Amino acid sequence: MTNAEQEALGLVFERPTFLSKVFSEKTILNTISIVSVFVAWALLVHFRVYRFVLIPSPAEVLEYGRWWVGTKVFWIDTVMTTGRVLVGVGAAYLIGIPLGLMIGWRKVFSDLTFPTLEILRPIPAPAYLPIAILLLPTQELSVAFIPFIDAFFPVLLNTIVGVKLIDRDYFRAARCLGSSPKQIFWHVVLPGALPSISTGCAIGMGIGWMGAVVGEMITGKWGLGYRIWESYILIRYPLIIDGMIAIGILGFASSVLIRYLTIRLVPWRKAITESLDESITK
Amino acid sequence: MSNNITVIESQFWRKFSRIVVNWSLARKILSLVIFILLWTILVQFIGYFHQIPTPKAVFLAIFELPVTLVLTNIALSFFRVLGGFFMGVLIGFPMGVAIGYSRILNRLIFPAFEMVRPIPPIAWIPMTVLFFINFESQAIFLTFYGAFFPIVYNTMGGISEVDIRLPRAAMSFGVGKRLMLWKVIMPAAMPQVFTGMKLAMGITWILVVAAEMLSNKGGMGYYVWYNHTVMDYPHVVLAMGIIGLCGAICSVGVGLVGNYFTRWQRIF
Repeated sequence: MTNAEQEALGLVFERPTFLSKVFSEKTILNTISIVSVFVAWALLVHFRVYRFVLIPSPAEVLEYGRWWVGTKVFWIDTVMTTGRVLVGVGAAYLIGIPLGLMIGWRKVFSDLTFPTLEILRPIPAPAYLPIAILLLPTQELSVAFIPFIDAFFPVLLNTIVGVKLIDRDYFRAARCLGSSPKQIFWHVVLPGALPSISTGCAIGMGIGWMGAVVGEMITGKWGLGYRIWESYILIRYPLIIDGMIAIGILGFASSVLIRYLTIRLVPWRKAITESLDESITK
Repeated sequence: MSNNITVIESQFWRKFSRIVVNWSLARKILSLVIFILLWTILVQFIGYFHQIPTPKAVFLAIFELPVTLVLTNIALSFFRVLGGFFMGVLIGFPMGVAIGYSRILNRLIFPAFEMVRPIPPIAWIPMTVLFFINFESQAIFLTFYGAFFPIVYNTMGGISEVDIRLPRAAMSFGVGKRLMLWKVIMPAAMPQVFTGMKLAMGITWILVVAAEMLSNKGGMGYYVWYNHTVMDYPHVVLAMGIIGLCGAICSVGVGLVGNYFTRWQRIF
């Protein structure tokens, strides 16, 4: 039961004060949850349970992490990976959204393009890597191609679904009032599909980070994914976990950024799809 | 007057042609023909693309496919995907139900998940290599990890977003707690649970291919990468197609099972 429902039923009698918020059941349980992960990790490593002998302890990870953040390499890696994700996912937005709008809007256009895309869709992004290496002039672009493929199909499909879910009456009303196809596109199709498009963008961003890491591990020379792989080969195991944490934080931050931007852009979507895209981002 | 007749006539012919010819299907077939033609023309006439195999070369590669090798690789990939996927379902689904159903469990488990979830599964590869002894268990852990979060999150979402009128109606008929969970809440959550499973299936295929590319323990991802290293590009494209087909079969399978579990949604 949500807070609003409890309030509606008269179960909440007083406004929570700062102290009661801090010591509420929710914060206590949440803290236990997060702390217990670290405690379990530290204990398992400390008592050398099974293969945890090889896994670095939280203290080591922290120590290496402090050193790593101070080096130049970390910042170059971060900028490189972020750049690849932005190029790949940005290209997916630029191509996927207009294509999806046209496919959702025009039946003829859909018939002419969608079957081909349906054939290409089930092929997982890493499998495109050899072709990307052949197709694109630089290695940099072929690494960015994987986040592009990863993000492209969620963006495309969400855009198509967004257009398909627009109430048919809006189109009829617009046509009755004498709008041209151009006006219908800008005033009905695009705003109507925006909530679903923004969901697709958030999903695409999440998967794009995964794609960038795959690309870097297999072919890259710089980037966080490559650094993780290199630390594994050089037996600097704590750095692997530091790299994972860095990627996690960056991925999380970019998803939050996309969500914030889209909520500003599409204020009416908040109520409709918040919970939905929460659950399918990853 | 004659104008009217022309309009009626043209409408008649339009309807007639729609009945005789399925234009939508024709355009769909045309789409594929255009795709293959465009591919051929680009490769044949534009020097930049000359390294990419033509559709003809890919088609001819079918006949020189090392059948037993490819079948073994397909079986290996399937084993890794399905192993991780079923483990994800077996652990993730009850977990999702528990988190969605109980507020205390939600507050106790959910933040820990939220902390781990942003780390992409691929970034776990070196850690799994350290932790697990053989490649099969590494790959299955990876696919399990990839499948786990979509299943948990969608199950949780499905359970917590059940239309409140359904449990209320059941409660007024005197349904107990256990029956409520099994017969009211879980069936109502099933559509979203299977959305999560479809998503999970897609992610497990991505992970298997990536993991196999990074190692040399067989599987379709390895087969693609091997053919890339020996520069046999028609076989690369063919193997991509085979992987796509396997992925499509898996997601259709999940869809069919999902249809069975959400059959209450169908009216007819």
